[in-house]
Amino acid sequence: MIAVTGIGWLNQKEYGCVIGKVEKHHEGLDSLYSSFKRKSLFSYPVKNFSRFDTISKMTCLCAALALKDAGISYSAGQKKDIGIFGANEAGCLESNLNYFQDYISSGRILARGNLFIYTLPSIPLAEASIHFGLSGPLLHMFFNEKRIPSLLSFAGDSIAGGETPSILAVGAEEKNAICFVLKQEADISSGKNIGLQNVISAADKSNFSEMITALIGLV
Amino acid sequence: MPSLKAVSVALDMVTPYGWGIDSCWEGLLSGTSAIRRIDRFSTSLMQTNNAATVPYIKPRRDESLVMQMLTPLLKKIAPEIPSDTFVILATTTGEIEFLQRFIINREHEAIKSRPDHLLNKIMLLAGTRGSGMVVSAACASSSAAVSRAASMIRNKECDSILVVACDSVSEFVTAGFSSLMALDRHMARPFDKNRCGLSLGEAAGFILLMSEERAVREKRHMLGEIAGWGLTSDANHITGPSKDGSGLLNAVLNAMKSAGISEKEIGCISAHGTGTLYNDSMEMKAIKKAFGENPVPLYSVKGGTGHTMGAAGLLEIIIGFETLNKKIVPPTVNLRDTDREAEGWVSSGPQSFESPVTLSTNSGFGGVNSALVLKKAEATL
Repeated sequence: MIAVTGIGWLNQKEYGCVIGKVEKHHEGLDSLYSSFKRKSLFSYPVKNFSRFDTISKMTCLCAALALKDAGISYSAGQKKDIGIFGANEAGCLESNLNYFQDYISSGRILARGNLFIYTLPSIPLAEASIHFGLSGPLLHMFFNEKRIPSLLSFAGDSIAGGETPSILAVGAEEKNAICFVLKQEADISSGKNIGLQNVISAADKSNFSEMITALIGLV
Repeated sequence: MPSLKAVSVALDMVTPYGWGIDSCWEGLLSGTSAIRRIDRFSTSLMQTNNAATVPYIKPRRDESLVMQMLTPLLKKIAPEIPSDTFVILATTTGEIEFLQRFIINREHEAIKSRPDHLLNKIMLLAGTRGSGMVVSAACASSSAAVSRAASMIRNKECDSILVVACDSVSEFVTAGFSSLMALDRHMARPFDKNRCGLSLGEAAGFILLMSEERAVREKRHMLGEIAGWGLTSDANHITGPSKDGSGLLNAVLNAMKSAGISEKEIGCISAHGTGTLYNDSMEMKAIKKAFGENPVPLYSVKGGTGHTMGAAGLLEIIIGFETLNKKIVPPTVNLRDTDREAEGWVSSGPQSFESPVTLSTNSGFGGVNSALVLKKAEATL
């Protein structure tokens, strides 16, 4: 059986941890990053955070919240056998537009490599894997139906199939993001957790706020 | 437990060597490269004028480059695809021309460049009624997609999965790779002492995977087995690979464990072999740690086909099955002066081998690594 041991989320005004029952206001992603550094949600500075595209920032912030919610600490240079799977609706469309618009505006002389990098939907997951030292499988997926339930189900199957002991499942958009920590129930020694099937049912909502409310209702 | 095996029952592709598997196989065996001058956009300010493009595929207003490649392939195979088949698309940029034209001419809608739109077109062409998804893991996208498909079959979630992979050479990606100074000005020379970058390429292809049980029940001809897989992240650097190869090493070890085999059973290795200084060096370190110092024949197709990005893994799986069926390791095209790290492992000429098992590896931006163990069809029976 697979369980969810941590859930972090944020939108444009608020952020929270579901299992730890935390819900707070924020003043924007960059100020949230500074606040997370002060509160040690980030054990050390996220390299180049200010240069990240929005989805990479959202991914790293909500991964920090989910890990905190799950009681998982990390440190620089220490890798963990944890995978990271992601799914979102728009992929990297905004970053594709930013990169190519910048290239055309510059007279097609030279594209900017630091914008080009974010034209891959898996890169926000890679930024998180680098900072948190996640060395398990890394994969971005688009599902043609039930995005977050499909992502959770897929991550659960990968753990059950023995491919990795734990996975961060991230649904990050430009305006909101959610991250779940999944692991085998048998590997959980302490702390609260929720059965994956209950989480999948609660996450089956088309509206982000409704999903958060349903998830909080599980605790 | 035969039902847990994921076997290929149909596959095909178009590559810079032309339509079909044979053209690619023969091209590689001949040692000639399909890398040529780009004629579909201006390259005067790019790092190179060359890429491996598919002959006669040209930008058109009514159809994207990848759809020009995929439509004939899928129309031909559609009658053989069961309607309950799950579809997985692997691509990095898909129909990126729609976004390019939106920005340059305000033509088309940028949203049409999203890969989920392409997935819907593919499902329509394939005639499937089931679900589908797009997998993105940078340049390991299609090998990751095949590993997901095999995993779904092994876990009994599905028993028929079509994996489709495609990417095209566009101004979007060529300008991007130029900005990273990642391209060889002439042609990629994987594992060569003088290598200095990759050459972009384009390709499209598919593999129809079934559980062995269903393949037998439907009297399908089995072409090979996806026997094991491993997917890891370097967790190291966003564009550069981990220098010690530890991420790829773990992917290879996981793939062999998943297949229940040891390194001694692997007859040859299809390396990612992009021709960049760091990738090829990292790969040799990982491979030597996994296989020891006794060389196993190793090759890269990318001096011939170019780096076909999201399609690379699938192209290399299909060529991997060809190596198993023909018992020939293709030459590493453009190899002139072998790098010291790769001496004894790579060859500029074809080599023979006997084992029914091969390994195929890919790595990509963000530090993603994929390894697949492929088995010859007879070995599955």
